[in-house]
Amino acid sequence: MALSSPKCPSSQFALRPSPAPRSQRVAAASSSLSCPPIPRRLFSKRVSSQSRANRRWNVASVHDARTLPISPAKEIDLKKVENGVSSAISAEEYRDLAGLSTRENSTVSITVVGASGDLAKKKIFPALFALYYEDCLPEHFTIFGYARSKMTDTELRNMVSKTLTCRIDKRENCSEKMEQFLGRCFYHSGQYDSEENFAELDKEIKKHEAGRLSNRLFYLSIPPNIFMDVVKCASKSASSANGWTRVIVEKPFGQDSESSAALTRGLKQFLVEDQIFRIDHYLGKELVENLSVLRFSNLVFEPLWSRQYIRNVQLIFSEDFGTEGRGGYFDNYGIIRDIMQNHLLQMLALFAMETPISLDAEDIRNEKVKVLRSMKPLQLEDVVIGQYKSHTKGGFTYPAYTDDKTVPRDSLTPTFAAAVLFIDNARWDGVPFLMKAGKALHTRRTEIRVQFRHVPGNLYRSFGTDLDRATNELVIRVQPDEAIYLKINNKIPGLGMRLDRSNLNLLYAARYSKEIPDAYERLLLDAIEGERRLFIRSDELEAAWALFTPLLKELEEKRIAPELYPYGSRGPVGAHYLAAKHKIRWGDLSSEHYKI
Amino acid sequence: MVICFHSCDSVAFPTSSLQHERSLSRRRRWRWLTSAPHLPSGRQPTRGFQIKNSNGHPLNAASLQDGLAENLSAEESVEKRSKDGSKQNGSTVSITVVGASGDLAKKKIFPALFALFYEDCLPKHFTVFGYARSKLTDEELRNMISKTLTCRIDKRENCNDKMEQFLQRCFYQSGQYGSEENFVELDQKLREKEAGKLPNRLFYLSIPPNIFVDAVRCASHHASSPTGWTRVIVEKPFGRDSESSAELTRFLKQYLTEDQIFRIDHYLGKELVENLSVLRFSNLVFEPLWSRKYIRNVQLIFSEDFGTEGRGGYFDNYGIIRDIMQNHLLQILALFAMETPVSLDAEDIRNEKVKVLRSMRTLKLDDVVVGQYKGHTKGGKSYPAYTDDPTVPKCSLTPTFAAAALFIDNARWDDVPFLMKAGKALHTRRAEIRVQFRHVPGNLYKRNFGTDLDKATNELVIRVQPDEAIYLKINNKIPGLSMRLDRSNLNLLYSARYPREIPDAYERLLLDAIEGERRLFIRSDELDAAWALFTPVLKELEYKKIAPELYPYGSRGPVGAHYLAAKYNVRWGDLSSESS
Repeated sequence: MALSSPKCPSSQFALRPSPAPRSQRVAAASSSLSCPPIPRRLFSKRVSSQSRANRRWNVASVHDARTLPISPAKEIDLKKVENGVSSAISAEEYRDLAGLSTRENSTVSITVVGASGDLAKKKIFPALFALYYEDCLPEHFTIFGYARSKMTDTELRNMVSKTLTCRIDKRENCSEKMEQFLGRCFYHSGQYDSEENFAELDKEIKKHEAGRLSNRLFYLSIPPNIFMDVVKCASKSASSANGWTRVIVEKPFGQDSESSAALTRGLKQFLVEDQIFRIDHYLGKELVENLSVLRFSNLVFEPLWSRQYIRNVQLIFSEDFGTEGRGGYFDNYGIIRDIMQNHLLQMLALFAMETPISLDAEDIRNEKVKVLRSMKPLQLEDVVIGQYKSHTKGGFTYPAYTDDKTVPRDSLTPTFAAAVLFIDNARWDGVPFLMKAGKALHTRRTEIRVQFRHVPGNLYRSFGTDLDRATNELVIRVQPDEAIYLKINNKIPGLGMRLDRSNLNLLYAARYSKEIPDAYERLLLDAIEGERRLFIRSDELEAAWALFTPLLKELEEKRIAPELYPYGSRGPVGAHYLAAKHKIRWGDLSSEHYKI
Repeated sequence: MVICFHSCDSVAFPTSSLQHERSLSRRRRWRWLTSAPHLPSGRQPTRGFQIKNSNGHPLNAASLQDGLAENLSAEESVEKRSKDGSKQNGSTVSITVVGASGDLAKKKIFPALFALFYEDCLPKHFTVFGYARSKLTDEELRNMISKTLTCRIDKRENCNDKMEQFLQRCFYQSGQYGSEENFVELDQKLREKEAGKLPNRLFYLSIPPNIFVDAVRCASHHASSPTGWTRVIVEKPFGRDSESSAELTRFLKQYLTEDQIFRIDHYLGKELVENLSVLRFSNLVFEPLWSRKYIRNVQLIFSEDFGTEGRGGYFDNYGIIRDIMQNHLLQILALFAMETPVSLDAEDIRNEKVKVLRSMRTLKLDDVVVGQYKGHTKGGKSYPAYTDDPTVPKCSLTPTFAAAALFIDNARWDDVPFLMKAGKALHTRRAEIRVQFRHVPGNLYKRNFGTDLDKATNELVIRVQPDEAIYLKINNKIPGLSMRLDRSNLNLLYSARYPREIPDAYERLLLDAIEGERRLFIRSDELDAAWALFTPVLKELEYKKIAPELYPYGSRGPVGAHYLAAKYNVRWGDLSSESS
């Protein structure tokens, strides 16, 4: 297995304090492990004691990470932190060190709660397999499916195997690997609120742990109404006795500030903040990860990154399909909660944050929460909502949102929304951040567009160019066809002096032939390794809800009717008027865009 | 014929408002005059406006001294007349290529003129004269020219027809360069072809420097246009040093005014050099970075992959510094580094360029490395040394390679090294500008870069030739689960984006000369400043007989260039393993 370790480049930073890449270091320490789950903190903390002062957050959470089945309330934890910061840290470090030295004797059990669900089948199991294929999982690991349906291990394996795929660029041994992987998958059927069933699960897990140091990851892929039950049962009856226990939870994190706070309170009865991994899979996307790299490892962008040069920022999400018979969940939430309040807002925070002290999770999340807390709560007049209606094109009729059988006929739930947000801080004062998210639009796309101001005193103003439209634009296309391009003005070659917008571009497919890993792979690996950078902290969540809750309530109270737009169209025209109000043009709907 | 002017729309600008036309007028001027005299007079661009414009700038003092203003008004009245004339029987342009049998004429000037004709960019009435000592008939000249004419790749239709039409307008006059009688004969021939139209005359002096002044004297005395304009294009070398250049200027000014002299530097006609100003001044994202605060160094690199190949006679008198650096590279540097001009008018731009040149530190011997190529055998084939060239003295110390570090002592560029490198017989043929940015202060990712942060900085590359391109090297994350960083390029490759062939620099410059657009020609004060920078070091090199460092033909040049760069903490961008 030592051979395979270089294959998994591991999700660590190649050169952490110690000069050797971590994967190599660990390979040396214990040749039997390929992609060991040592939390990065261990190293950073040891080396940079000077940064400890800056890390109050980190300290607090490190303390929280104690793996005893926890019930003490948060206040007690905080007291402990105040009293004995260093002892808490050394406890954790000690455990990590122990983990390092007894590497062969530790194991990770990943329990997918809600194993028969759609997300589990489509994303979680394939991501786990991809990690296994790339040798990124610890040597000893076990995967459990947990759900209500009665199934045998073999039935689960059959189900899982249908959705597993091998990376395009490394197909060798794929079926072999798949067999090995499936051999580690087990199923346990049980009720989500039954402590007995979870106690049975615990026994099963213990069987496979076979006395090794036990680390446990629960992935809650279940509807929000049973979240709490599962967390309660799992923490009481199936927590690890001597290793860590972590829980990944998916959106929705509540419906508004109150319900979100209630959920957080509920979770904290059984878990500490540091055990909760709130996943926003957009943060695991390659180009969202790259956003910070672009900003902070290049000199040429940072000087431009402020109100002085940036005219507006657009965060655009569109899907080219509707709810397609699965509107039941969606109708309770709507596009604002489903996409804007989490995915787009998280991207915005990463985009707009100040330079963090370091790349550590707490430092980055501290900066993100500052951005969120500097933002003005959204006003009704700065929002446009829409809902798709049926449309017939080329003999094919596309259904309206309300044609979905799982959606009430008179639903006012928005399937499209556009909003203008502002960050009231020194860097971004007065710069509109536009968001747009919609279903059943003409295209599937997620991108960030940064429109720059026009050139003051432009010497070329006389060349027939509309100055506002000929400004520079940086586009970061998150999906599909990942790309970064900067629109620049240049001269059309030839004897005349005609200007043209062309792109300085980087198309990922052209430069990087390797398939880009799915966001879930990265996030699962991070959770196993205890890297929290890409997960949402409770104060971030709170700040995010605070921005959107008043608006959401007003929309619902006033029963604001969404503007209807045809299925497959470019969305309601209201979005243009909203942009026009702030003297902006949507970058994705310019005629120019379609030529590219 | 109005139609044919429309098809030269590649040259035209999109018109959108009257305000625009002021600055467009130069380029369009003759088009209106000749092809659309019926345009509403309110839309007629007036030259007077421009004069007021440029006279308004105090910095024009230099050119005013040269008698520019006076001359401009003379020219202005000519323009007015030409406008009137055009209403009666039109104007004509006669282009005389003096030294028609020379290499440059055959390879560049006639093909460029034909390309302009093919694109319908020449005025309706024009005549091309070849003038040289050899006895040739018109037919013989046409045969000679036709061998080198090519049609644009993207529009081959009617090429033969067009070529025939073009050749019919070409004539030959043989004569001595110093003979006033011969130029009188030329004048008679010109008149014959002008047939009473308002005559404008352009002389292209494609002759060795020692007969420059004779030809100018004879042409100006006997073959100037009596009523239209007379312009003279001169090619490098413009002297060998400050003194000889000043003398040449003085001589030329005896017969011509500054405004009639078009000193050509064909690098200024290259597409990406033209685009340099567009990039800087029409994009918001570059200008904030364009200073010592963000730019660590700038590299101007010229390399040829062949030697003198039996034509070293001229070169040996000049050397690479005079041949490439003092003009081409320095001109690009000035365009790169200049402050924002008041407008895009020729005088405004040249005022800014001359300010850069005059702010520069005079080059010192310590900051120069010279080299000369030696013979090299590779793959069974032997490449000759420079001194193997039979036209070069065996003991020649003339540099065929030079690298230099220059500094601009102004607020924007203080202490930023501008490195130049030019060489013959190197491993590649290339001309490019590389802008290396500083490293990111307090880089969060410094652990990912290892110890040398300077290796991971951003770099903007403007490749002038071949394969025109602009690219910006950025750091980004290699896709995947790890956090590994990578330098990749945000790039614009011209051939991918613009399938049309890019016109040769000479086309642009000839067209500009015909249209009186002086932006890309070198003014005498620019020339003085350029020589002032290089003359002391050139003299010292020659006086001290500094021996050039030898480098093998086809190599990457003498290693001395690396040490020079290292002295200023610079690494040559073109020789990093990455870019090769």
